[in-house]
Amino acid sequence: MFVIPPPPSYPRQANGGEPLQTNNTIAHPTGPEFQLLVGEEAPPHNPNPLATQILPPTAGTKVSLAVIAPRQHSYPQLFRLDTFASSRSQIPPSIQEAPNETPSAGSNGVAQRRSNGVGPYKSSQTPVFGEGNPAFAAPNGKESKDPSKRRKPKNNIVKSNSSFVSRVIPHETLSKRLSEHTPDGLFMFANVNRALQWLDMSSANKEDQLTKILFTKAHPLCHDTNPVTRSATHIDVIMGFSTGDIIWYEPMSQKYARLNKNGAINGSAVSEIKWLPNSENLFLAAHMDGSLVVYDKEKEDAVFTPEEPVQSEKPSTDPGHRFSLRIRKSVQSKNQKTNPVSYWSISSPQINAFAFSPDSRHLAVVAEDGSLRVIDYLKEQLLAVYMSYYGGLMCVCWSPDGRFIVTGGQDDLVSIWSLEDSMLVARCQGHNSWVTGVAFDPWRCDERNYRFGSVGEDCRLLLWDFSVGTLHRPRAASMRPRGSVASQLPRLRAESTTGRVRSNSNLTAQSNGDIVHPVEPRARTAMLPAVMAKPVDDHPLSWLGFEEDCIITACKDGHIRVWDRPKEGAAGSEGTISTSGSTANL
Amino acid sequence: MAASHAADNPRQSSALQVETSIVSHFRTHVVHSPNGQTPSNPTAGNAPTKRDPNAPQPTPLEKLLADAGPLRTDGSDKFFGFENFGSTCYCNSIIQCLYYSAPFREQVLNFPARSPPEALSRAPTALPRLNTDLSVSSTTSANNALSPPRPKSALSPLSSPIHRQQNKPGPTLATAGPPGTKPEDNKESPEYRKKLAVAAGPVLNMDYENSQSYGMSESLFTALKDIFEAVIAHQSRIGVVSPHKFLEILRRQNEMFRSAMHQDAHEFLNLLLNEVLEDVERFSKSQSSSDVSTQNADGESGLVNAISSAVSAAVPSIFAPSKPQPNNSHWVHELFEGTLTSETRCLTCENTSQRDEAFLDLSVDLEQHSSVTSCLRKFSEEEMLCERNKFHCDNCGGLQEAEKRMKIKRLPRILALHLKRFKYTEDLQRLQKLFHRVNYPYHLRLFNTTDDAEDPDRLYELYAVVVHIGGGPYHGHYISIIKTQDRGWLMFDDELVEPVDKTYVRNFFGGEGAMACAYVLFYQETTMEEMLREQEAEGAAAAAKAEEGVGEGAHAKANGFVPNGVPYTPATPMVEESDMFASLDHAATAPVPPMSPDPNTSTASEQQHPLENVASSPGSAALGFLEKRKAKAVAEKERKAAEKELERQAQQKRKEMEAKRRDNYKKQEEDLKAAIAASKASQAEEARRSGAPSASNDDAAISDGLKENGGGSIMSGGLNRFRHTSMSLRHKPKLWLQKEKEGQSPQPPGASPDKKEEKEKKNRFSLGKKKSGFLT
Repeated sequence: MFVIPPPPSYPRQANGGEPLQTNNTIAHPTGPEFQLLVGEEAPPHNPNPLATQILPPTAGTKVSLAVIAPRQHSYPQLFRLDTFASSRSQIPPSIQEAPNETPSAGSNGVAQRRSNGVGPYKSSQTPVFGEGNPAFAAPNGKESKDPSKRRKPKNNIVKSNSSFVSRVIPHETLSKRLSEHTPDGLFMFANVNRALQWLDMSSANKEDQLTKILFTKAHPLCHDTNPVTRSATHIDVIMGFSTGDIIWYEPMSQKYARLNKNGAINGSAVSEIKWLPNSENLFLAAHMDGSLVVYDKEKEDAVFTPEEPVQSEKPSTDPGHRFSLRIRKSVQSKNQKTNPVSYWSISSPQINAFAFSPDSRHLAVVAEDGSLRVIDYLKEQLLAVYMSYYGGLMCVCWSPDGRFIVTGGQDDLVSIWSLEDSMLVARCQGHNSWVTGVAFDPWRCDERNYRFGSVGEDCRLLLWDFSVGTLHRPRAASMRPRGSVASQLPRLRAESTTGRVRSNSNLTAQSNGDIVHPVEPRARTAMLPAVMAKPVDDHPLSWLGFEEDCIITACKDGHIRVWDRPKEGAAGSEGTISTSGSTANL
Repeated sequence: MAASHAADNPRQSSALQVETSIVSHFRTHVVHSPNGQTPSNPTAGNAPTKRDPNAPQPTPLEKLLADAGPLRTDGSDKFFGFENFGSTCYCNSIIQCLYYSAPFREQVLNFPARSPPEALSRAPTALPRLNTDLSVSSTTSANNALSPPRPKSALSPLSSPIHRQQNKPGPTLATAGPPGTKPEDNKESPEYRKKLAVAAGPVLNMDYENSQSYGMSESLFTALKDIFEAVIAHQSRIGVVSPHKFLEILRRQNEMFRSAMHQDAHEFLNLLLNEVLEDVERFSKSQSSSDVSTQNADGESGLVNAISSAVSAAVPSIFAPSKPQPNNSHWVHELFEGTLTSETRCLTCENTSQRDEAFLDLSVDLEQHSSVTSCLRKFSEEEMLCERNKFHCDNCGGLQEAEKRMKIKRLPRILALHLKRFKYTEDLQRLQKLFHRVNYPYHLRLFNTTDDAEDPDRLYELYAVVVHIGGGPYHGHYISIIKTQDRGWLMFDDELVEPVDKTYVRNFFGGEGAMACAYVLFYQETTMEEMLREQEAEGAAAAAKAEEGVGEGAHAKANGFVPNGVPYTPATPMVEESDMFASLDHAATAPVPPMSPDPNTSTASEQQHPLENVASSPGSAALGFLEKRKAKAVAEKERKAAEKELERQAQQKRKEMEAKRRDNYKKQEEDLKAAIAASKASQAEEARRSGAPSASNDDAAISDGLKENGGGSIMSGGLNRFRHTSMSLRHKPKLWLQKEKEGQSPQPPGASPDKKEEKEKKNRFSLGKKKSGFLT
C-alpha cells in the first residue's frame, strides 16, 4: 500500500463535480491464477560487453488496443470542433469555448483516444489531410463507398514465403474464438522483441494469443490500429520495424502488405507510427533520422526524390533556423501515385514519439534532442518548439481537450505545456529515472481538472492531478514579459490570442526564432508532486494506457499488466480502495 | 555489402567461407575478379587482383581520420592508446578522460609553460629512449594521410628502411600459430587488435622525464605533462603511449598502487587530481616566494631553461613559452572544484549551522533502476544524524539529533561523478559490485543546488565515461568512452582506440547480466547554443546518411539483414563486412607482411573496397532492386565503369609495388624469425634465472622483444619483458632509494600511520554523502 496524501493546495470542487480521488492505491493479487504467460524467447545476449557493433534499435513492449464496437456514450465532449471555421483556427478551438460545460460524468474517451482523438463519426467536420489536392480525390472517393467491404492487403502472412516473416502461429480455433468475441471486448496488439502478439483481453483464456507473428530479423518497434476502418471482420494494423520496413496487417484475414520495403523510401528505423486521424489509408511514420513520412497503405513504394522548393534551405545563422520543418515532399504535391504521400524532416537525429491532437489538427513531436515541436500537419507548418530541461524527450500525449501537452523525458521529469499560452505550465518531479510513457486518464478529467499518469524506467507508475486554477507558480514566473500569463491562467481568451500562437498569416510572418522557446529556469517553474507512486514491475516500464475499467502497463521485457482501477462512485476522499487486478506476463 | 543471396544471414555465409580452405578461398577470388583484370604478371598470378591482400586493413580509427587536415597544436586531434603493464587500465582510462578535457589539457600544457617543440624532439633523441619510430609513414596508408609530409623528412634518419621492416611483425604473430587456438588469434578479439595497435605504432616510450625543463621537480604532474606534450609533439595522430615514468612516480609515491592488483579508477582519479593540485600549488608558491632569486631556485634547470629559451628565441613559434603565472595556479580548482554546503539543523535547539566543503568529485549512492539525476537528488536529501552518528551542536552543546542536507553551492566546470558501485557488505565482509541499472543522460543539470547558487541551471554535457568490466571490485578491466572535440565518441581500451556510435555510450547503464557498467562519469559545462549546434550537426549527418542509404546503399540493407541490422547507419555495417573480408584475406594468404610498404596503393584499394564488394558479389540482393530502379542502375554502371578505370590504373602501380613488397616481406620474415628465436631464448634464459614462471605468455614476450628490436632501443628484449611483467614488487626498493636520494620526505615502506594520514588528507576532496559526515 502506498498512499500519498494530497498536496495542500488540492482543489475541492463544491459544485457537484465529481471530486477527484486523492487516495489512490492500486494493488494486484498474486497467485498463479492471475499470471498468464505467453512465452517469448529472450534476445540473444552478446558475450562481449564491449562489442562495438551498432545494434539495431529495440523498443520495449508497446500496446495497441482495438475495440470493434465501443459503447457509445452520450457524454459531453471535452473538446469541441465547431469553432474550426472561426478566425482563431490555430488554437485548439474548444479551449476558450467551454465556460458552461457540465462536468464530465467520467466515462469518456474510448473512441477518441484510440483514434488519437476523433472518432469516425466526426469525419465530416474535421479537416482532411491533403484537402484541396485533386490528386487525392479519386482514390479516396472510391474507397469510402462501402465501408463493410474493406480492401485487404494482398499477401497471406501464414502462407507467405517472405524471408521477412519467420513464423506465424495462429490459434487453432481462431475463427471460433473470433466469433465468440464480444464486440466491446478488447483486442490487444503487443510487440515483444521480434514478435507481434494479438491477444483477446475479453476472452476467458487470454493467455492464448490469437496470433503470434515472429519476424526473422527485424523488430517491430511500434504499431497502431485504425479506428476508422475497424469492423467485426476487419482491423487495420500498421507496424514499424527496426529496419525501416512497415507492415500493414489485417489480422482477421491474416493478410499483409509490406511498405518501404528494405527502406526504399527511408532506411532508418521507425520509432513511432500512427494512423492519421479520420483516414482510412494514410498513416504517419517517424523514422529515426528525423523524418516524418506519410504513407498510403495501398500505394506502391517508389524511390523518393525530394521535391523541395529550390530556395528553401539556405544555411542561416538565425538560431531559430535550426528548428525548421523541411518539407521534402508536400502533401500538395501532384505526384501522388506512389508512396510517400508527404515527407517532412526535422533537424533532429531521432524522433522518439509523436501524438495527434484530439481535434486532429496538430501534431506534437518529441525528439532525442530534447525538443517538443508542435506542427500543424494539415498546413505543414511548424508552430512552436519547446525544450526539455535537459536530455531527450521520450513520450508525449495531449490532454483530452487539446489544451495541454504532456511530455516525459530523460530529465526524469514530466512536463506540462500549454499550447494557448505557449509556455511551460509545470514540471512534475517524482520519477527516479527516465519517463517512458505518459497518458491522460480521460475518465478522470473534466474541463478544469486533469488526471494523467506516467511510467518510467524506475519501474513505477505515477499518477498526477493538476487543476488550471490552482497551480502554484513561483513568484518569478508572474514577472515574465508575457501578457497573457500574468495571473490566473489560461481561460483568458482575448489575451491568449496575443500569445505566441497566432493566426496563420501572422505566423508565417514570424521569424523562426520567435517560435523557439528557451528552457525555463527552475526558479520560475511550478513543481508538481505526484498523487500516487507505486512500483508496478520489476523491469523498466515502456508503455501506459488508461481504459475505462483498468490501467494497463507494459515493461521493456514484455510483461503487460492490467490493473483494476478504483471504481467510479467509490471515489471517496477517505478510505483506500484496493481492488483486484490481473497481470499478464507476455 | 555482400548482402549475399542467402540474404537471411550474410554472417553465416561469410562464416562458411572462413572454414573453407585457402585454395577455395582463392577460387572465390578468381571468380570475383573477372573484370578483365587478369594479372599479366605471372608472379602475381595467385594474388587476388581486386585488392592487395598484403595491405593491412585500415583500422576503424584510421578510416575515421582519413580526411584529417594538418596537425593541430592543441592536441585535440591526437588519438593515442596507452599500454597496459598489467592491471594499469585504471590509470590509462583516467588519463584519457583528462586528456580529452580541453581546458584541462590546455592548462597542463601551459603550466608553467609549454615546452618548445625543439626541446621535445631533442630530449628523446638525445636520450634516445623515446621510441621515435616515425616510420608511421611506412606503416599504413591512413597514417600517411594523417601526418603531414614535412616533419617526416626531418626525422628521416630514424625511419630508415631497416627499422621499418623490423618493426612491423605484429600481425604475423597470429598467423604464425595454428589459427583459432588462442584468443589473440581471433582477428576480432580486442587482444589481437591491441597487439596490432602496438605493432603499428608509433610507440611513445615515456620512460624519460622533462620536469627540469619546466623548472619543476619531478612529480605526477610533470609526468602527466610529459605524456601530453609528447603525444602532441608527435607527428602521428595515432599510436601508443607507454607511460613508464608516470607509473613509476605513482608507485613510488603511493603504496596502494604499488601492487599489480586491480585498482580503483576513482581512487586514482581523486589521487591524481589532488596530486596535480598540490604540485601546481607548490610550484607556484615556490615561484612567488623566490621570485627574487629565481635563478637559484631552479639552479640545476637553469641550463636547460637557457638553452630552450635560446632555441625558442631563434625559432619563433606558437609554442612560445610564457612566463610562469603564479596567479594561474588555481586552474585545477577552477575546473574540477565545486562547493557543497552542508546544512545541519539541530533538532533540539532548531539552530541551523552551515558549513562549506570543497569537492573535486561527487560520489553518489546507487539504487536499482534509477538515473544519475535521481542519485544526485538522493545525495542531497535530508539525512538524520542520530544514534551513533549524532551531531555536536555548538549552540546547545553536546551531541544532538540533527537533520543534515548537502547542496551544491558552487557548480564545478567539470563534474566528475563517481557511481558507488563497490559497496561494502557486512555479510561477506568485503566489497561487492552493484550491477544496478543507472541511466545517465547526455546532458545534465543539477537539481540539488542551493538557492543562492550562481547559475543553478548550468547545463552539463557528458563527455567521458569510465566503464568497469567485471564481476567484482577486486578484478576486472577499465575502459573509457570519450567524446572528442570533432571526431565523435571513441572507445579507449588500453592500446586500442576505436570510434563508436553515440548510442554505444548508453550500453553501460548496468542492469541484469551487464558486466560492463559505467563507474565514473565526466560532465563538462556547456551552453544551450553549443548543444543545439551539435545536435544540428548530428541531425544533418543522420539525414545525409539516410539519403546515402536510400540512394546507392539501399540494397545493402536488404531486408535489414545486414549483420548488425543497423538501418540508420548503413555505413557501419559495411565497414564491419569489409573487415570480415579482410580477415579472410589475411587467413588465406597466411604469412604476409602486415604493413604495405606502399601507402598509395593500399589507400586506393582500401577505400574502394566496400563498394567493390557490393558490386562484385554475385548474389547481391542489389540485383532485385536494380530492376526496379533502372535509372539508378545506369548511374551505378557508370560509377562502376569509372571505378574500374581507376582501378586499372591503380592496378599497374600495384603490380610494380608487388615485387618490391615481396622482397621486403622476405627480408622482414627472416628478421622476424630471428627476433622470435632471440626472444624465446632470452625468455627461457630469463625464466631459468628468475626461477619463476614468467607471467607473460609467449606472444606477449615476443611482441615485447620485437618491439625492442624494431624500435632500436638499447635495452635487450629480456630486460624489457622483465620490467613489464613484474614492475611493482621488484622495483620497490629501488624506487624508495630514488626517493630518498631526492630528499623528498624519506619514509620507510612500513610507515603506515603516516601514510594513512597522508592518504586521508589526499582524499579530502572526494565527498561521499556518508563519508563526509565524519571524515572531514
